[in-house]
Amino acid sequence: MIGKSGRVLIVVYIVCLVVLFLMCSTDLIIREPEREIYQIAVIIEDVRSDNYSNFRKGMDQAAAEFNADVQLITLYEKLDAQEQMELINREQQDGADALIVVPVEEEQIAERQMTIPVILLRAGVAEASGAGNVIIDYEKMGERLAREILEEQPVGNPVYVLRDSAVQSDMDRLFLEGVKAAFVEEGGRVQMIMRNEEDRFWMMLEKTGMDESEKVVILAENPEILTEAAGVLAGSEAVSAAVSGLYGRGTTIPILNYLDRGLITGICVTDEFSLGYYSVREAVRALEGAGSVPTVMESHYIKKEDLRNPAYEKMLFPIE
Amino acid sequence: MNWNRNILKRTVGIIMSCVVCLLITSCQGVHREEEKTSIRIGISLYRGDDTFINNIRSIIEEKAKEYERESGIKVTLDIQEAKGSQNTQNNQVERFISLGCDVLCINPVDRMDTSLIIDKAMTAGVPVVFFNRQPVEEDMNRWDKLYYVGVDAKETAVLQGQMVVDLYRKQPEAVDLNGDGVVSYVMLEGESSHQDSLIRTEWSVQTLKNGSVPIERITGGIANWERSQASALMEQWLSEYPDTIELVISNNDDMALGAIDALERAQKEDVNVIGIDGTTPGLEAIENGKLLGTVSSNKEVYCDAILELAASCALGEELPEEYSLTDNTYFWTPQEILITKIKENP
Repeated sequence: MIGKSGRVLIVVYIVCLVVLFLMCSTDLIIREPEREIYQIAVIIEDVRSDNYSNFRKGMDQAAAEFNADVQLITLYEKLDAQEQMELINREQQDGADALIVVPVEEEQIAERQMTIPVILLRAGVAEASGAGNVIIDYEKMGERLAREILEEQPVGNPVYVLRDSAVQSDMDRLFLEGVKAAFVEEGGRVQMIMRNEEDRFWMMLEKTGMDESEKVVILAENPEILTEAAGVLAGSEAVSAAVSGLYGRGTTIPILNYLDRGLITGICVTDEFSLGYYSVREAVRALEGAGSVPTVMESHYIKKEDLRNPAYEKMLFPIE
Repeated sequence: MNWNRNILKRTVGIIMSCVVCLLITSCQGVHREEEKTSIRIGISLYRGDDTFINNIRSIIEEKAKEYERESGIKVTLDIQEAKGSQNTQNNQVERFISLGCDVLCINPVDRMDTSLIIDKAMTAGVPVVFFNRQPVEEDMNRWDKLYYVGVDAKETAVLQGQMVVDLYRKQPEAVDLNGDGVVSYVMLEGESSHQDSLIRTEWSVQTLKNGSVPIERITGGIANWERSQASALMEQWLSEYPDTIELVISNNDDMALGAIDALERAQKEDVNVIGIDGTTPGLEAIENGKLLGTVSSNKEVYCDAILELAASCALGEELPEEYSLTDNTYFWTPQEILITKIKENP
């Protein structure tokens, strides 16, 4: 027989067990601080995200650090401003807490009344708009690349710029403006080759001799054109022999491989891992009500020998 | 006593009523489930620097957009790279589930070690579509919501061997370069743990033998699907066996391209090299006449199958009829031989 004190002890014991269970397994007694997961949508201007691989890694790193769930969204048609606006609306309606946008039409987005913070990844240093801004000065990047070309290449070699025949993005436009400005300043000039004229251009180069004075310098407007041009050089010894230098911008794996193989002479890049990281960080800051200061990204000129430089290696091949 | 019994009866009555109410409300919940307007797919790739897997990734992204456009259902893809670590992949799966993914598409790091992924998916009730690296049968049989999309490795290897057999029959001198009546070959193998690697190695050679091509193996080595490793191996073989190698049989295109890199450096560009996968750089090499040929799976069908399976699982719908599954689990993608025109029509 259990005495009265024994029964009391059993009851106390059971109550303790229940309290311990409630403390460990539920929020009833000790409430764990709720960590809100921020839903952030990143809407780019392109149909593919190949050019954003390092950006993605930075974005994922920041997402893990700042407790965010980040989605990268591409367009159905490249540089389709209307579709980008539709996607912005869709994401807003679907409950995104913040947006990061690589704008096709910056003004259109800036004018729109948004209920959530929008971080713009802008191509130039114009007046800031949106809840936050991360800026890559493509004009300056173009200028920088042009000056490197002028320094590296013989004075007489003609410079051809391969550019898209369709609509130009702000990035391409500003990059080319920078290139032209630098050449004009130094008394040089560039000749434009539109994408639909490229076949004729390559055929012309195939017939060009290997004389140093006849060689040409090629500059590609964007990563896509640069990759294609390097592919042509890789596939044709005659064209390759007629080109004294191939330049452009971008950090995709094919571009870096071509640079490593010596088919691309030099590229201008930004630290895209940091770009991705900063944009998510800016979005979280905006959500938490912290003030925003526009972040301006630096550009770097990289040649084959720089690929093994630890500082650049870390930037071009980031490990999450 | 009677009073106590009444209280007990009432209490039991109240509890039973609560249980009945709960059951009714939960059943209503099932009926009221709204039609899904968006699906979220978690994709984990074994490595991000594999050319074939990168091709597949790009096509899946395109297919997802097409699907979204045609069906009006928003498709969100969460794509992660496991960097060759099964542990990382397991964590990614956990994250996908916690983020509420409706279905997982997994390219396993270690096909023998998928049980943890399956455990997690089964507990959360999230179907899994494995692709490219086939989990062992015992794992695949654990649940009826596990699927695999890939190619029949034996068929791939037979087609690879057949391309040399056909060329040898048409033009023996194009394969037996030194005309000694024997085709001397080296073999570049993928990861030893990958099922396709072992089968490709065995059956490509077997097909050459069955096709009466007189062959002699010089050497072989594992280059783990990688261009740089294959290039280093080939360079070593070229110095060990100078002027002997006539054919390079590679388990994939990346390694075949690595061998070509070494051959170019050694200025031995007449050696025939064959690959598998039909990757973009591989196809470029065929166009340039550097790679004799490759066996390509129809990547459009491959990725369509992954996406359609994933979407139908996520939406709880039947898989479209054109995707017939072997044992209700496996989808085998059709393949074809792609051979350089220079050798095909001399």
